[in-house]
Amino acid sequence: MHYVIPLGTPHTTLTTSLPWLAWIPGLPLLAFAFLILLGRRLGRASAWVSVGALGVSCLLSLSLAAAVSAGERLVVWWPWLTANDPYWSIGLVVDGLSWIMLVVVTAIGTMIQLYSIGYMHDDPRFARFFAYLSLFCASMLLLVLADHFVLLYIGWELVGLCSYLLISFWFEKPAAAAAGRKAFLTTRIGDTFFLVGILLLAWTGGELHFSELAAVRASFVQDHHGSLLTLISALIFFGAVGKSAQIPLHVWLPDAMEGPTPVSALIHAATMVAAGVYLIARTFPLFTPESLRVVLAIGLATHLFAGTVALTMTDIKRVLAYSTISQLGLMMTALGLGALSAAMFHLFTHAFFKALLFLAAGSVIHASHHQELSQLAGLRRAMPWTAGLFLLAALAMSGGFPLSGFWSKDAILLVAQQGQPAVMWLLVLGAVMTTGYIFRVYLRCFEGRAPQETGPHPHESPAMMVVPMAALGLGAAIAGLVGSPWMRHRIFHLLGDPQVHHGMDPLILGLSSVAVVVGFGLAWVIGFRRRNLLPEALRPLGARLYRWAAHAYDVDACYQRMIIGPCWRLAGWLSRFDQRVIDGAVNGAGDAGWRLSQWKAWVDQRIVDRAVNGIAQLVRDTGALLRWIQTGIVQQYLFVMVVSVVVLSILLGR
Amino acid sequence: MSIRPILWLSSALFALGIYGMLSRRNAIGLLLAVELILNAAALNFVVFSRVFGSVPAQAFALFIIALAACEAVVGLAIILSLARHAKTVCADEVDLLKG
Repeated sequence: MHYVIPLGTPHTTLTTSLPWLAWIPGLPLLAFAFLILLGRRLGRASAWVSVGALGVSCLLSLSLAAAVSAGERLVVWWPWLTANDPYWSIGLVVDGLSWIMLVVVTAIGTMIQLYSIGYMHDDPRFARFFAYLSLFCASMLLLVLADHFVLLYIGWELVGLCSYLLISFWFEKPAAAAAGRKAFLTTRIGDTFFLVGILLLAWTGGELHFSELAAVRASFVQDHHGSLLTLISALIFFGAVGKSAQIPLHVWLPDAMEGPTPVSALIHAATMVAAGVYLIARTFPLFTPESLRVVLAIGLATHLFAGTVALTMTDIKRVLAYSTISQLGLMMTALGLGALSAAMFHLFTHAFFKALLFLAAGSVIHASHHQELSQLAGLRRAMPWTAGLFLLAALAMSGGFPLSGFWSKDAILLVAQQGQPAVMWLLVLGAVMTTGYIFRVYLRCFEGRAPQETGPHPHESPAMMVVPMAALGLGAAIAGLVGSPWMRHRIFHLLGDPQVHHGMDPLILGLSSVAVVVGFGLAWVIGFRRRNLLPEALRPLGARLYRWAAHAYDVDACYQRMIIGPCWRLAGWLSRFDQRVIDGAVNGAGDAGWRLSQWKAWVDQRIVDRAVNGIAQLVRDTGALLRWIQTGIVQQYLFVMVVSVVVLSILLGR
Repeated sequence: MSIRPILWLSSALFALGIYGMLSRRNAIGLLLAVELILNAAALNFVVFSRVFGSVPAQAFALFIIALAACEAVVGLAIILSLARHAKTVCADEVDLLKG
């Protein structure tokens, strides 16, 4: 273990070596290996292996709090490619940025795993589920701790794999299998661009450690290669577009809801989709104003687009999926505005309330076995805890004071106001939509009159599911305070942001509160009371627009027609080519060999064998001929003897 | 005195003997013909002993007589066992060596 010379990191002064860092991703990895091999034998107890491993990782991460907030950078590294001189190393690093992610992944992951014990209780592949969850946590932690692009990419791909495994966990359902495939392939497209970006950076910049990126940026700017830097950062951003479900690669996330709800909560709300945001934050020195403009544009478009679709969805999990896409768009917008710390702060708070929303939805699904809003109503009386926690999370997401979402969203609005006010108004519109869609779900699902159920009535979920939800609820409530004036904006210091937000800006405070009230009002009137507020003339147009949004603007159909259809046709054409031409050639060669052997057999039988047999027959026939001489009668032999004596004596006498 | 007529006689005997050997059906007749051949040869010996005044030639004639006797014994023994085996003494009916 060696010391890394600090270079280029703007906010740290001290670097310490910490050999046991490897245990943080290592314990869940060991849990995965253990459960994959021996899980079936353990049965229900296998969950505790997984929870235990991640819990210890959580404690290890939390123990680093003091060191990290003092500005230290904790590292461990190993020699990797030793043929070079100096040799390439690879390792793990904990600074403020990765520490926040560590806390998010381990703490929320542990809560979700505890919840899964109750949710997946009757599943026949219980142990395998926890094995996959452990692998996912190990991969995510590796991604977050990596100090080198290649190691991060390894973690990136592994989480993609785990996402595939977990989405199609109930693979007997064809929809789930197809969704897993779709998720993997769509993110793969982004990953390919990401890989090209990494290779380009290695080829031109020569350096892939994150600590060296500021120096790389400086050298590029000096050599007037700014456009190359823009290209590299744009390629890296495209990888994030795939993983964080931004337009145009967002199509996999709604379908990913086919997976079990804890999977949706962990992977598709709190952690994996946030990896894209983390990536951009980590590689921020590489981003030029041009590439940040791209990030801003895509993030803002995604935020608003997904918000409108979420307003029309009738499946509770799909609303949350589009909500996630929208909130990630918000984080990307913050990054595009240059506000790295605000984006990460929102990632932090979003993880808590979004995970809680998903777990509450899972609780509803588990109890009533329905996902459609049309079949859910008035569940507040039957499931008070779930309803209360859902309400808490909804208020947090909408930005209700003083919950977590308020602080992070206002931080972003503040940056927008200072940079580009037009963006700020669009974000306010987005906030109205956010409040609107989430309260539409809450009101329809939990308020109102419960329908007369003839079957078993839904009831509150068991404690094993409610207690983790409550823990997340606590997080959703108070997590934002680390960025508030009351805690002296601790989180911004942690992320190295020198800018201190003095107090609360009254305009922003006013705008966000108005947005919440307006959104709630619209949700009550339109979503709950089902009144159509449009004037008579605009109603047909409104209905058409609503239907279009409800089909997610037909993006999937568009892709099917333009990309997937032609790909399948090409695959079919290639397959037929392979069968007819290539296999035909191979079979033809085999056939030619067979025919050759047949001809050879004919030659061998008819010609060669006949010759050989002919010779034998000749000998036999000669013998048969000569046999006539041997009559067995003595006197004939004597006659021959006499004649030959006479002849010989005449010849010899001459 | 001239010996030519006696040589004619021995030749005639020899030829008769050959003919008989080749044409007798009965195996014993074949042996008799063989005796004729032998005696023709012995007659030749005696005549030429008279011409050259050589006594060993006459002794040779005695050899021939003894030899003929032995050969007749052996021949008759063969014919006897053949007759027991093939139930016949006709030379052209016995073709056990036929290939």
